[in-house]
Amino acid sequence: MEKVGAVLVVGAGIGGSQTALDLGDAGFKVYLLESTTSIGGVMAQLDKTFPTNDCAMCIVSPKLVETGRHHNIDLSINCKILDVTGEAGNFTVRVLKKTLYVNMDNCTGCGVCGRACPVEAIDVFNEKLSKFAATAVKYPQAVPLVYAINKDYCIGCGICKGVCKANAVEYDLEDEIIELKVGGIVLSPGYDEYIPPEGNLYGYGKYKNVVTSIEFERILSASGPYTGKVLRPSDGDIPEKVAFLQCIGSRDFTGNGQPYCSSVCCMYTAKEAVIAHEHMHQIRPTIFSMDIRAYGKDFDKYIIRAQDEYGVRYIRSRISSVNEDPETKDLILKYETEDGKIIQENFEMVVLSVGLNPPDDAKYLADKFGIELNEYNFAKTDIFNPVQTTIPGIFVCGAFSSPKDIPETVTQASAAAGCVNTLLYEKRDTLITEKTLPPEIFVAGQPPRIGVFVCHCGVNIGGYVDVPQVVKYAKSLPNVVLADQNLYTCSADTQTIIKDKIKEYSLNRVIVASCTPRTHEPLFQETIREAGLNRYLFQMANIRDQCSWVHMNQYKEATEKSMDLVRMAVNKARNIQPLERIKLGVTPKTLVIGGGITGMVAALNFANQNFETFLVEKEKELGGFARNIYTTLEGGNVQAFLLDLIEQVKAHANIHVFTDAKIEIINGYIGNFKSVVIHGPENTRAEFEHGVVVVATGAKEYEPNEFLYNTNDNVITQSEFEKVINTTDDIKNKKSIVMIQCVGSRNEEHPYCSKMCCAEAIKNAILAKKQSPTTEIVILFRDVRTYGFKEKYYRMAREAGIVFIRYDEDNPPEIVPEGSKLRVNVVTPIKDNILINSDLVVLSVGIVAQKEDNEELGKLLKVPLNNDNFFLEAHVKLRPVDFATEGVFVAGLAHCPKTIEDSISQANAAVSRACTILSKDEIEAEGKIASIDPARCSGCGMCIDNCAYNAIELIEDRRFGSVAIINSALCKGCGACSGNCRCAAIDVAGFSSKQIYAMITGRL
Amino acid sequence: MVKSMGLETENKEIENNLREIARGLLKEKKVDVIIGYMEGTLPLLSQPIIIDSEEDVEKLIWNNLCYVNLAKYLVPRVPKFVNPEKGNLTVGVISKGCVGRGLIHLASENKINLDEIKIIGIPCNGVVNRQRIEMEIGEKEILEVSVFGDNIIVKGKDFEREFPYDEYMNDLCKTCKIRKPPLVSKSLDLCVGECEEYSNIVDDFSDISEFEALTPEEKWNQITEELSVCTRCYACREACPMCYCNLCFVDQNKPVWFGKTTDLPDVFVYHLIRAMHMAGRCVACGACSLVCPMGIDLNKINRKLEKIVKERFDFTSGLDPDVLPPMVDFKLEDAQEFALEED
Amino acid sequence: MTEPSVETKQSKNKEWEPKIIAFLCNWCSYAGADLAGVSRIQDPPNIRIVRVPCSGRINAYFIIKSLTDGWDGVLVSGCHPGDCHYISGNLVARRRFAILKELLEFFGIEPGRVNFMWASAAEGMRFAVLVRKATEIVKKLGQNKKFEKKW
Repeated sequence: MEKVGAVLVVGAGIGGSQTALDLGDAGFKVYLLESTTSIGGVMAQLDKTFPTNDCAMCIVSPKLVETGRHHNIDLSINCKILDVTGEAGNFTVRVLKKTLYVNMDNCTGCGVCGRACPVEAIDVFNEKLSKFAATAVKYPQAVPLVYAINKDYCIGCGICKGVCKANAVEYDLEDEIIELKVGGIVLSPGYDEYIPPEGNLYGYGKYKNVVTSIEFERILSASGPYTGKVLRPSDGDIPEKVAFLQCIGSRDFTGNGQPYCSSVCCMYTAKEAVIAHEHMHQIRPTIFSMDIRAYGKDFDKYIIRAQDEYGVRYIRSRISSVNEDPETKDLILKYETEDGKIIQENFEMVVLSVGLNPPDDAKYLADKFGIELNEYNFAKTDIFNPVQTTIPGIFVCGAFSSPKDIPETVTQASAAAGCVNTLLYEKRDTLITEKTLPPEIFVAGQPPRIGVFVCHCGVNIGGYVDVPQVVKYAKSLPNVVLADQNLYTCSADTQTIIKDKIKEYSLNRVIVASCTPRTHEPLFQETIREAGLNRYLFQMANIRDQCSWVHMNQYKEATEKSMDLVRMAVNKARNIQPLERIKLGVTPKTLVIGGGITGMVAALNFANQNFETFLVEKEKELGGFARNIYTTLEGGNVQAFLLDLIEQVKAHANIHVFTDAKIEIINGYIGNFKSVVIHGPENTRAEFEHGVVVVATGAKEYEPNEFLYNTNDNVITQSEFEKVINTTDDIKNKKSIVMIQCVGSRNEEHPYCSKMCCAEAIKNAILAKKQSPTTEIVILFRDVRTYGFKEKYYRMAREAGIVFIRYDEDNPPEIVPEGSKLRVNVVTPIKDNILINSDLVVLSVGIVAQKEDNEELGKLLKVPLNNDNFFLEAHVKLRPVDFATEGVFVAGLAHCPKTIEDSISQANAAVSRACTILSKDEIEAEGKIASIDPARCSGCGMCIDNCAYNAIELIEDRRFGSVAIINSALCKGCGACSGNCRCAAIDVAGFSSKQIYAMITGRL
Repeated sequence: MVKSMGLETENKEIENNLREIARGLLKEKKVDVIIGYMEGTLPLLSQPIIIDSEEDVEKLIWNNLCYVNLAKYLVPRVPKFVNPEKGNLTVGVISKGCVGRGLIHLASENKINLDEIKIIGIPCNGVVNRQRIEMEIGEKEILEVSVFGDNIIVKGKDFEREFPYDEYMNDLCKTCKIRKPPLVSKSLDLCVGECEEYSNIVDDFSDISEFEALTPEEKWNQITEELSVCTRCYACREACPMCYCNLCFVDQNKPVWFGKTTDLPDVFVYHLIRAMHMAGRCVACGACSLVCPMGIDLNKINRKLEKIVKERFDFTSGLDPDVLPPMVDFKLEDAQEFALEED
Repeated sequence: MTEPSVETKQSKNKEWEPKIIAFLCNWCSYAGADLAGVSRIQDPPNIRIVRVPCSGRINAYFIIKSLTDGWDGVLVSGCHPGDCHYISGNLVARRRFAILKELLEFFGIEPGRVNFMWASAAEGMRFAVLVRKATEIVKKLGQNKKFEKKW
């Protein structure tokens, strides 16, 4: 069957949105379906995110706005899948679009209906901690900003219909069924939080001051029910002692919760504890946990900071009971300490760190799409490709396949998009319709003719600001040839009016005084462009969100302020000029650095899409780190997978493999790189052009010199042990084996978790136990970090009789050779001395970055490393495989320690991100970017270090000597360079000094 | 500060040393030219000289009237030292502490290449506060200035006055902690003569604490009174080794940043913005004040700049070309006590 | 039209009110100001907002020009340090602002004339609270007359 160049994405949380953006940018038509009434999912509910404490709303809302406005993304809310037929490349999906009882085309999102609604509904977004109207948006920054009537609460009084001047409320709207033809499907429905059984679990639902972690997240949020103050629900007092109970509904084999680890709770709890203390210094958080699973990039450092800087107390214990003091509503916790003491302690508030469940409709979705679920009802995925479901052409990302955090979700979102790219690459740009626009009217040199459109926004502005007076004032301003008022300037009919007026009055600058440019500027820019004006000849005066809405009782002042804002906009408009987006060609070829699994997967996927690929490996053989790994914990045959991969790569006509190779030069920028590689025994020189770079240089094993490794043959590393059990049966001669975890990890020198060692140790221990059931195996650990579904194997190991003994970092085990034996002395955290006579000690050594190599490559590519010498991505949460430098991507161990599956996801993600560039013949630079006047520049180079995007360099100008120059392909237009430029040589288009000066001056 | 042997002996010793070094460098062709000081055309002055032969070495002098920061002669607004056949010339610079600092900071701003420079380090004992002496002498013509013991002796037609050097030293020299040029450790052969490695400069900035304690109104009054005589001749800018913009902001149009008049607001803004541009860059040579024909004391502002960058960013300008200047660098944990917070 | 006339709704406020120019970064603070509006948090009507891409764009000229041009106060707000949409623009800016703030004070400008703050896109309430605070500070200082030209 003919493939279709469209993709269905189910679920528009951060994962689904990222997939949609990637695919939309790569030239596919995307149908993005959301079951609720707005996109953003759980991330929009969060206050801050770990480990950077970034404000979630700040970073996610631009992405959501972009998703909502993307010309290749068709977003539908309030949807349900009805049925799916077809096969990879050509599916037919029928979807039920449930009505909102609000006409989405008419609704301007002004919110008058919600304020007029007399009925209180429960606010689900704020976790039922506050009330809402029955006519509402989910949260203030919702995308799309369309109000919906909740029929469960609506009493049909008709008030909202009465107040809506946009005529958007239509009670008789009906559900509709649509049919979509798509080539690929990505499922990203997210997860549902574990809801503790009311009253039965630690008093949740019974005691007011016991809340779940998501409820607590909303309490923390500045836009939450208490505007960011941490207050007890029972009496609104500030709690001092707050207890966080971990593993609620996770790692639970009793049947009440889930047996797996929810992966994210340890970190979000640490974050909530830190933020709570930051918001209210009197709060002293205590976290009760079994293990602290801080296995991600820079997570351990966060835990240490939580303890050292924010006084967060960690207690290893599972709480036995929570009771409420009926007087104070305080909570009395009973728990057993590690040394067996029973302690009773009072807390003023208890937070239950609830785990992640599969989405409630997992079975429904599985049934409709025909995919299999795993034993926990999460989507079952390929053992080496975590985004591939059991049906070809259907992919999954985010928490639907296993509990995961935001960066992993975003990585998988791009990875799924990468797989779709490989599946449908021939069909790019087949379903995209480009709008035909009239040629731009030439306005340069003409005196400004400004049209000002002042919006009433129903009563939103008109009710609090004297709009006619603002219009009158606008008319009086220089160069204003037209000033007019509209009921809703954003409505479809007003767009026609604006276009007509542009023609009628020969306007060459347009100002709309209404709401915020953050949401509406693109709409009006589109309108004036359709009328033939350059889209940058537009200005907005924000007289609603930042004026009428915040001064509702100050009519005169609000009117004056509106007039001032309009004048400032006019002053700026008089100085604006048309801007051009510079177009740059793209070389559709790729450079992949590193020939391990990550690099090979990336190379293969590029090659399969007909992008010529140069794969550079510094060793003589391909394979990288995985050459020492035989199986995965889950039983995947790594060696077979690796051999197959190497064969495919070597055989592929589109891949040039350079082994024993070193990169000599990388010049250029996004879309247009030129590199030189020296390779082979004869140092052959190869020079080629390419459009993108993927850094997949991997990492190496830590080389221990502790624990007698270098002096005693019976001390070996985990990978050496893996080789022994996979290639010999020596293990049968060993009576006792001791494994030591965290060797070269989580210490001062390497203050991070290597993520894979716990799983490796358990994998090898189970295998060894199978081969030789009488061998005693003891694992000495600090925390067992079998996150996610790996928890099963931890339990399996314990059931197989493998002994786990904990030690503290300050008290590492001691090894004393005694004849052919090794005496291992370990002191447990409660100071019990344990002696083990062992035949073999296995060191689970960590993963360390290739410092020198990374530094060298970092300099070549101008990309940064973190403190541990791993590469530092552009944004820890939302751009996990991008570098700040455009066109350069990172994947695999070079980024931080991770599993093979994660590396493969990152490889696919990097492919997808790269495809957003490679799929185009040319890319457009931003319009509002900085530029340098060489006559003014004195070449001090300060701007180069101020630029986060490596967009500036010093060149030798024939006339002006050494001057800085900005690469418009890389500039993001932030203006950090211009702010410090003493010579005032740098200006930023769209926010030029002249324009800003015009706004400052002429006050009266 | 002043050694017991007496100023004139000390100066003579320095002068002899630097001549010897200069002669050696020229002889061995380690430098092509040397920039230094020579006798001025008027008493109380010296002037810069550029020499390229051994004979001229005797013209080089050193005394407490060597005000100019010679680093200024290497920035781009001055034609480069180039030989059409040889390319860039190697320049020896007679460097007191602030000249060395100027060179090093200019190197960190890509303005000069330290490989083409030889810092001829000398231990500076400060320069005299010319304006103050001129003011005290008044209208009378000064015919001769000499140093005897620890005093400056000024002679005219019918008068002779002694000024204790300790008191009549330039204010910035009184607080100077970097009298010899900093030793740039990675290129040891850069420095001949006396250079010094500075690990951590300790300075309590007590000299400006009195002014800082004033109320805003008092500060405003004092500063505006001081600046009110400014004629915007830009001598301060021309003397400053760090003022090398192709087109100074005050001379720019589109937009005209600030008024070009000598009205107080415009004068005030000129000095405020110039201070802003000097933050983390001023090398405390005091050239700006020393050249001011109106006798405006800009040293207080320079000291404040030094204080801000030292206390906030632990930075002293012109010590190490490899340390990023404070306006280029940043840290997540930089102090932000000045930001508004909720009560 | 339903809007009442100026006279009937006019709040009777005879006191002098300062006019403050506010430079807000597009991604956090401007969004925070919008959120204050969406949440109908009432704040003083004294500020006039100028949108800039990033606090890193705000140079000393803009701030000083605002003062010399007669604005009674200047408010500058960016993303919280570490949250910058452009990675490090606000960190670069923070140093610039720290130096400028100290210099302004040294030159005798009242410390409250120019205020700096951070507010995120989720902090509508914080934005309003700090705008109120800044307005009160400037109001207490009285009119900015220092740069009036005498003739």
